[in-house]
This record gives sequence, structure tokens and C-alpha cells, in this order.
Amino acid sequence: MLVTSCAQSDRITAPPVSAANAQFTETIDGTAVAFTMIPVPGDPAHGDEPFWIGRTEVTWDAYDVFVYGLDARGDDTAADAVTQPSKPYISMDRGFGHAGYAVLSVSDQGAMAFCAWLSRKTDRRYRLPTEAEWRFACDLGRIPPAEVGRYAWYRGNADFKTHAVGTREADAAGLHDMYGNASEWCTGTDGLPVTLGGSYRDSMEGLGCAARVSPSAAWNQSDPQIPRSVWWLADAGFVGFRVVCESDSQAGEQR
Amino acid sequence: MTEHNGPADAITRREFVRVTAVGATAGALFAAPLVHAGGSDTIRIGLIGCGGRGTGAATQALDADPAVVLVAMGDMFPDRLSASLDRLRPHAPLRVKVPADRQFIGFDAYRRVLEADVDVVILTTPPHFRPAHLAAAIDAGKHVFCEKPMAVDATGVRKVLQSVEYARQKQLNLVSGFCWRYSSPERATFQRINDGAIGDVVSVHTTYHASPIGQHARRDGWSPMEWQLRNWWHFRWLSGDHIVEQACHSIDKINWAMNGATPVRASAIGGRLMRTGAESGNVYDHFTVIYEYADGARCFHTCRQMPNCAYDNTDYVMGTAGTCAVNGWAPSHVIKGENPWSYEGEHPNMYQVEHNELFAAIRDGTTINDGHWMTRSTMMAILGRMAAYSGQTVSWDQAFNSAEDWTPPAYELGEVQMPPVAMPGGYTVPAPVA
Repeated sequence: MLVTSCAQSDRITAPPVSAANAQFTETIDGTAVAFTMIPVPGDPAHGDEPFWIGRTEVTWDAYDVFVYGLDARGDDTAADAVTQPSKPYISMDRGFGHAGYAVLSVSDQGAMAFCAWLSRKTDRRYRLPTEAEWRFACDLGRIPPAEVGRYAWYRGNADFKTHAVGTREADAAGLHDMYGNASEWCTGTDGLPVTLGGSYRDSMEGLGCAARVSPSAAWNQSDPQIPRSVWWLADAGFVGFRVVCESDSQAGEQR
Repeated sequence: MTEHNGPADAITRREFVRVTAVGATAGALFAAPLVHAGGSDTIRIGLIGCGGRGTGAATQALDADPAVVLVAMGDMFPDRLSASLDRLRPHAPLRVKVPADRQFIGFDAYRRVLEADVDVVILTTPPHFRPAHLAAAIDAGKHVFCEKPMAVDATGVRKVLQSVEYARQKQLNLVSGFCWRYSSPERATFQRINDGAIGDVVSVHTTYHASPIGQHARRDGWSPMEWQLRNWWHFRWLSGDHIVEQACHSIDKINWAMNGATPVRASAIGGRLMRTGAESGNVYDHFTVIYEYADGARCFHTCRQMPNCAYDNTDYVMGTAGTCAVNGWAPSHVIKGENPWSYEGEHPNMYQVEHNELFAAIRDGTTINDGHWMTRSTMMAILGRMAAYSGQTVSWDQAFNSAEDWTPPAYELGEVQMPPVAMPGGYTVPAPVA
């Protein structure tokens, strides 16, 4: 699955003009969901376009709206564009917490479907970060190796669970939890899904902008029911994601 | 953890003697032929109950041993059976050999599967049927994978205990679906607890705080019985209520942490707030149970099936020298106190391990019999439900010997009554059998 999973809508709009080179707040009609998108300049060395990236990992507050059709337009309009996940077999928040906590246990298919759904709801182009985008944003964060614990929930301080997003310090780019908490789905340089950044389960050595783990069958082996869910990973209660929103120029190409 | 009791199974063994004294027959004493020991003979399996769990268990059986062949299937409904078969065929195209004349439908499908020259049966119907299916399977000399819970009422528990004893006498393997018992991290953790890593266990709190299970909307042409069977988890005669059907996993972990001690009595609080109307049957949606032990230990279990509430499936074990928290969903397994530890090993798929060990035992000519603890854990869950439904403090003996029997008047796809939701203070636990 490539980065083309976002909605191919002719109504695509760029982030608000006032948001150019500034953060903006995204909302979903009919809900109290709001989250902040942080601008990231393109990598001039590679001619990359600027984009916006979520200040935090996507939380259950937003994902539940997608799964359960909790917004103003409800299930009907969403269903015509995007298949919604099935109800999970176990509680995929693993009992760590829900409101304000990073989505966990979602498959890359679920994460990409959320992006497509969010694009429909907002008329903007949301998708998973590419590996290059995520690493570029992470590098801008310049987390000092000796002070990782201030910025990351990881094995050394997390008490074996995730924590509410944004409860460790923001990095120099204004982003929270790029290291640790939930590891984050991205589209790898080879086009395959990959998780970056490390999670609350990892030791210090498993964190960082270069921390990269490909999914494996072991992440979804213990769903006791057949067929197994394609939306939920029974054994990956450490995987979440954050979204990127494409810039004006990228969106403009679709017009 | 040495103070709770002597031999871990002492109390249940006494129960076995009592039960089997009236129920034993000469036919139960024949040992099973060990035709598969050490060989590569085909092992023929039958699936009784073709839902999602049964289908999953069948794939695990097929994966456990290259000579396992699925030869017969039984279910109440042809659509359920064919959907299961459609999923199983691609899993092992050469070893799923279930022609139309070995696809059995209806209340007696289990008997037909048992007559299809199978060596092993997988019992994964709604739990109401388990005692009868298990008894028939053991009587027929089959090795069994038996999903949890093992019964929904006290009469069923006593019947299962008979089967457990017969299985022992006949050297048949009886592997339970209490899957955490087959999970490496849980095994390592509870072994440490049983070995005293947190001192003497003084209290255990286990949780199963989850969201509701879905419903199948009633369709034209469905009799009340069919509607109930297709929504079995909402009807207490079929599921035993969610404390017995689902949360029994966590009650089993009390049993495990307490090293098999039997509680003396239980009191409980439960009810039904979120589930309303006949469409959601007559089960509760929350329970809190307090189990009291002879040595003064008090153990707690809390469960609910409600949406949009905090979820948890952690077990908290409190000892005189530390505490242990087991979150199987995370998963994390952590001991704090005098002997700090956390599990760092592998996480093999426990559902697969159940079958790997079952079929390895059949091959090796050894015997696994999970009967003692699986039956006690089921009975503990039923005890908790009895205490909640009645609002009374219920002793283990009162519960175990109760005449409670939720068998319907007839197994027919027609009318079947639905008793009202149990009202604490009004519901009476049936008196002991004479």
C-alpha cells in the first residue's frame, strides 16, 4: 500500500491560509475532536514539499469517531467512501487509558483508512507520513540523547503502559512522543508499511528517529477467532500513528 | 503460598469421589487405545460448534500436527457450518476432508460427529451444551479440546466432574480452553507467585472490563429458540451470563494465583444498566464478586460489558512480600517488592500452544487432564453469579450441590421461554440436590 490511500476528492482544500507556515487546529464536524497540525518545511536538499504533521499521535477520541460513526454525518456518508473497521475482539486500548491516549493495535490498513476517512470529513489531504517525512520531522526535534526521558515514554519510565499523548515535553519541532509511547505507522521508503520511533516497551536503545521496525505475523497471531481481523492487531498493543496533511502546492496538483 | 491448603486439589478430589461413586460405570474403565503414540498415523478430528472460536480452534489443530485431518463438522445451522468450512478449506486444502455426508446439523449433530470415526473432538458450541457433549465424547473414547467455560449451572459442573474422572480412567487427553494456562508469560508469572515470589498471597483482584458483544437482529422465520441460539451470549441458560462465559478467564486466574484453593463462600453485587429490553436477553452487564478463603484471604473479581467505559484486563495479586500485576492484553507481567521481576521471554500464541500440547500428548502416549482446575474455575464463576443474582452470601458447598439446572424442556427449534432478569433479594439459588 502506497501513499495514495488518501481520498481522491475534487473538493480538496489546503489548510487555512492563515496556517501557512503556522500550526492549525483540525476539527471534525459534530464532535469535540480537535487536534493540532504542525508545519514542517520541506527538506530542501531533496526538493521535498512542506507539509503538516500531527503534534501528537492520533488519539482514540478521533479514531472512535471513525470506527463508530460518532460525527454529525454518522455512518452513512462515511461508508460510501471508506470501509469502517470491525469491532475489536478485545479492548484494543489494552486498559491503558482511552480519552487522550494514543490509538493502539491498529493495522496499517486501519490507519490508512482513518486518513482517507479524515480527508473526506475535512476536505483536506491526510495520509500517513512517508518514512522520509517522519524522519525529517523527527530530526528537526533534536532530542538530546542524554535527556530522552524528558521527551519519551519508554521502558525506563512508562511502567509498562502508554500514557496520554503530550504528557512528555515537546521536541524542538513542537512535536510530542516522536520517541516512544506508541510506535508509529509510516509508509516506508520501499513502499511497505513500517513503524518508527519505538514504543513504551522499548529500552533507550530502541528509540529514536532511526528506530525502525517492520510488522510481522507475530503482531496478529493470537486473535482466537477466524477470520482474523484485518483492522486490529491482537498482539501489537504498542503500534499507533500520526497523520500528515499535504501542503497547498501538493493539494493544488489534485485540482 | 503454602498456607492455603495442602494438596492443591484436595477439596475437588473429595468431590470427585462423591460424584463418581454414584455415576461410575464399568464402561468408563476401559483405557483408550494409544494407536497414535510415536507414529505418523493420521489423527482424525471432528469440530462440534462451527463459530468463530471453533473455526479458529480447528485451524490451530490443523497447524499442531501435519497428520491432523478434519473429517467431520457439526453445528446447529447450515450457514454457520458452511461459512466455517469455507474458511478452513484454504487453510489446509489437503487435510480438510468434510464431505456433505459428514456435515451434521441440529441438536444431535455432536453425536453424529462422534460416530464419524474421529480420534479427537473440538467442543466449541455455546457452553450450555458442553457437559452433555463432553460426557458423550469421553464415553465414546475421544480426546477432547474443551472450550471454556465447561458448564453454565451447578448440575452441569457435576456432570463435567464425572467426565473428568472418566477421562482420567480412560487416559484420554482433556485440554481446556482456559488459554492463559497455555501462555508462556502467564505460566512463568503464576509459577513464581505459587513459588512464593511475593510471599503469601493475601488478596487477588482480577478484572474483565470490556465492551459488549454484538447482536444478530431477529429475522423473520426464526423461532425463539433459533433467535436465542444465534445470540447465545445474551441468554443465561446458554452462556451462563458474561461472568461465566467470558470473565471466567480472570476468575481462573484467581484460582491460579491461589494455587487451587477453593473459596469457602462468595458475596457479590451485579446488575444490568446498559442492557435493556428483551432483545438483549436476560444477562447482567456487570458483576463484583468477593471470594472468601479459609485462611482469611479475600479475592475480588470485577467484570462488565459496557461501551465507552474504561477497559481493563489486569490481574492484581497482593502478597506479604510484594505485588504482581498481569495485563494479558498489554501484555505485561511485573512483580514488585522483595523479588522484582518482569517477563522478558517469548510470547508464543497461546491458542496454538493448547493444540500443540494436546496433539503432542496424543503422539507421545501421555495424558493431559485439565479437569480439576478448569471445573473449579467454572464453578467459581457460577458461584459468583449465584451470589449476585440472589443478593445472598452463598457458600461453596451450597453452590456446588445446588440443583440448579437450566436445561430447557425440549431441544427443538420452536418456543423457549426466557426467564426474567434475576432480581437480587428475589432470586433464589436452587436448594442442594437430595
